[in-house]
Amino acid sequence: MEKSFERLAISLKEVAGFIYPNEIELHWSILIVVYPYITGLVAGAFILASLERVFNVKEVEPTYRLSLLTALAFLIVAPLPLVAHLGHPERAFEIFLTPNFRSAMAMFGFVYAWYLLVVLLVELWFEYRKDIVVWSKKEKGLKRIIYLVLTLGASDLSEKSLRFDKKAGKIITIIGVPSAFLLHGYVGFIFGSVKANPWWSSVLMPVVFLFSAIVSGIALMILLYMVITLFRKKPIEMSCIDKLASFLLYAMILDFSLENLDFIHRIYESEESIKILYQLLISKLFISMVVIQILLGTIVPMVLLAWTKLGHLPDELRRLIYFCSAILTLIGIFSIRWNVVIGGQLFSKSLRGLTTYKMELLGIEGLLVALFFLVLPFIILYILVALFPPWKEAEVKLET
Amino acid sequence: MPQQIKYLFGLAIALIIIFFIVRHYLMSPSFGLFGHYRAASLKTVVSQEIKYAGEIACTECHDDIFTLKEKSYHRGVACEVCHSPAYAHTQDPSEHKPPAPRKRAYCPLCHGYNPTRPTGFPQIDPVTHNPGNPCISCHNPHDPTPPVTPQGCEPCHTQIARTKIVSPHAPLPCTQCHIAKEEHKLNPRVALPSKPRNREFCGQCHSQEAESSPEIPRVDMKSHYSGFLCWECHYPHHPEARLKKEE
Repeated sequence: MEKSFERLAISLKEVAGFIYPNEIELHWSILIVVYPYITGLVAGAFILASLERVFNVKEVEPTYRLSLLTALAFLIVAPLPLVAHLGHPERAFEIFLTPNFRSAMAMFGFVYAWYLLVVLLVELWFEYRKDIVVWSKKEKGLKRIIYLVLTLGASDLSEKSLRFDKKAGKIITIIGVPSAFLLHGYVGFIFGSVKANPWWSSVLMPVVFLFSAIVSGIALMILLYMVITLFRKKPIEMSCIDKLASFLLYAMILDFSLENLDFIHRIYESEESIKILYQLLISKLFISMVVIQILLGTIVPMVLLAWTKLGHLPDELRRLIYFCSAILTLIGIFSIRWNVVIGGQLFSKSLRGLTTYKMELLGIEGLLVALFFLVLPFIILYILVALFPPWKEAEVKLET
Repeated sequence: MPQQIKYLFGLAIALIIIFFIVRHYLMSPSFGLFGHYRAASLKTVVSQEIKYAGEIACTECHDDIFTLKEKSYHRGVACEVCHSPAYAHTQDPSEHKPPAPRKRAYCPLCHGYNPTRPTGFPQIDPVTHNPGNPCISCHNPHDPTPPVTPQGCEPCHTQIARTKIVSPHAPLPCTQCHIAKEEHKLNPRVALPSKPRNREFCGQCHSQEAESSPEIPRVDMKSHYSGFLCWECHYPHHPEARLKKEE
C-alpha cells in the first residue's frame, strides 16, 4: 500500500493542470501497447503471405512460408500481454464458455480463435502436408511422432490430393485476408469506439490500425528474411526484397495519408478537446510522436525507400537502406501503438490537465515483461522454423 | 471427398464436441438464468457482511433530524455519507456509535472551491472562509444554510481583515471607507459596496488641514504626487505611510 502511495506521489509531481484522481495513474500500461503491436505484426505478415497466393506476386515467394510461420508465432503470443495485464489467466477461457455477443472485447476471443484455428493453422497444414507426410516417414524419435500426429492421418500423396492441397490453401488465403482485416481492424475498433476519449474516438481508427499493421508486417518480414538469410549464409534474392520494399513504401504512403487525413479532420473539426490534444502533442508526446513516429519512423524510411526507387543504387546500398528502413519502420509503428494507448490516457477527461506515465521495470506490467513478450515470438518462430523449414531447398520434392 | 477434408472435418467435429463437453462441466448451471451472469453469484453477494444500514433505517429513530434534513439543501446526501456505514449501530445502538465529523477539514471535501464543480454549487476557499472555526459552529450540517447572515465583513473578506488588523488602519471600521447596504450581505454581487473615488477622501484625515488626531501622518495634498490617486501608491488596507514619516 505504501509503495502505491509513493508511486502516486511521484506521478503527482508530473501532473500539469487539473486532473481527476482516478486519472493520475494509467490503467492500460505498456502491455496494452505490446498487444496491438504484436497483433498488427500477425495481420501484416499474413497479408504479405497472401500476396503470393491470391495476387500471384512471384517475387515474394521466398518469404511465403516464413510469413505464415511468423504470423503463427506472433499470433500465439498476441493474447498473452492481455492475459498478463488482466491477471487470472485461469479465467480467460470463460469468454469462450459464456460468449457475450454484445461485448466487443469478449468477441476478440472468437475472432482470435477463428483466425488461429480456421485460417492460419489450416492454411499451414495444407501448405506443409506433403512435407509433413514425407518427414513422418523419414525422421526418427520425437520428431517423427510430432509429424505423425500432425498429418492427422491424411497421408495420401497422390497428384490429385496434392492439387487439392494447393486449391484448398488458396481458398483459405482468400478467406484469410478479410479475417486478417477483421483481426486487426477489431483492435482499432476497440479504441475507436471509446466515445469518451477524443484521442481514440474516430471511425478511421480501425482503418489506420489496419494499414499500420500491414506496414509493420512487411517491415518485419524484410528484416527477418534478411537476418535469417544472413545466418544461413545464403544470398539474398534482390528481386524479393526489392518487391517487399516497394510494398512497404506503398503501404506506408497509404498509412501516412490516412493518418494525416485523421489529423486534418481533427484540426478542422476543432472540437472542445483540440486544445488539450495540442498540449499533449507538443509536451508529453513530442518525442514519441513528432520525432520517433512521424520523422524517424515514417518520413525518413519513406524518403530512403523512394530514393532506392528513383536512383540506381548498388545492391549493397539498397540492402543497407532496406534493413535500416525496416528497423526504423518497426520502431515507428511501435510508437504509433504507444502514442495511441499511452497518449490516450495522458490527458484528463476534464480536458484541463495532463498526467504522465511512469513505467515499472520489474512488475507484471513492467518493461521486462513487455520485452519478454516481444522476444517470445522469435523463440517460438525459431522452434517452428526448426520443425518446418520454410526454405525452398527444404521443401520435399516428390519423385513422380 | 478428399482424404484431407475427411480427417480435418473429423478433427474439427471432435474439437467442437470436446468443447461442448468441457463447457457442460465447467459452466455454472445457474448461468444465464436471469441475465448474462451466474445466478448463484447473487447468493455469494447476499452472504457478504452488511455494512450500510440505509437511510430508511436511520429515520426509524432519528425522524426529527431526517425531517429537518429533508427540507434542507442536504436532502440528497444520505446519512451514512457523513456518519460512516452504520449497520452495526442499527443492530446495537449503544455499543456502536457512528462517528460524526466535526473538524473543519471535512466539509471542504465537497464544498472546497474546485473549478470543475457545477456553477452555483456552494463552494468556499477554506483558507479565507472564517479561518479557524469549525464549519458546524455556523452551519448545522442537517440544515446547512447559515441561520443568520454574517453581521461583519470578516467572514467573507477574511484576507483583507487579517491584513488590516496589523496595519495602522486597524482601528478603522470597514464602513469608514466603504458604504455597504444591508442587501450586500444577501446578494454580494448585486449590491456592491462603495469605494473612495478621489484624493480628497483620504485627505479628510491625512491633509495638513485635516481635523484628525495629530499622530495621523499628514501630507501636503497639493505638492504630494498631485497627479496620482492615493491608492496607486498606498494599499489602503495596509498603508505604509508611517515608514515615510520616519524617513
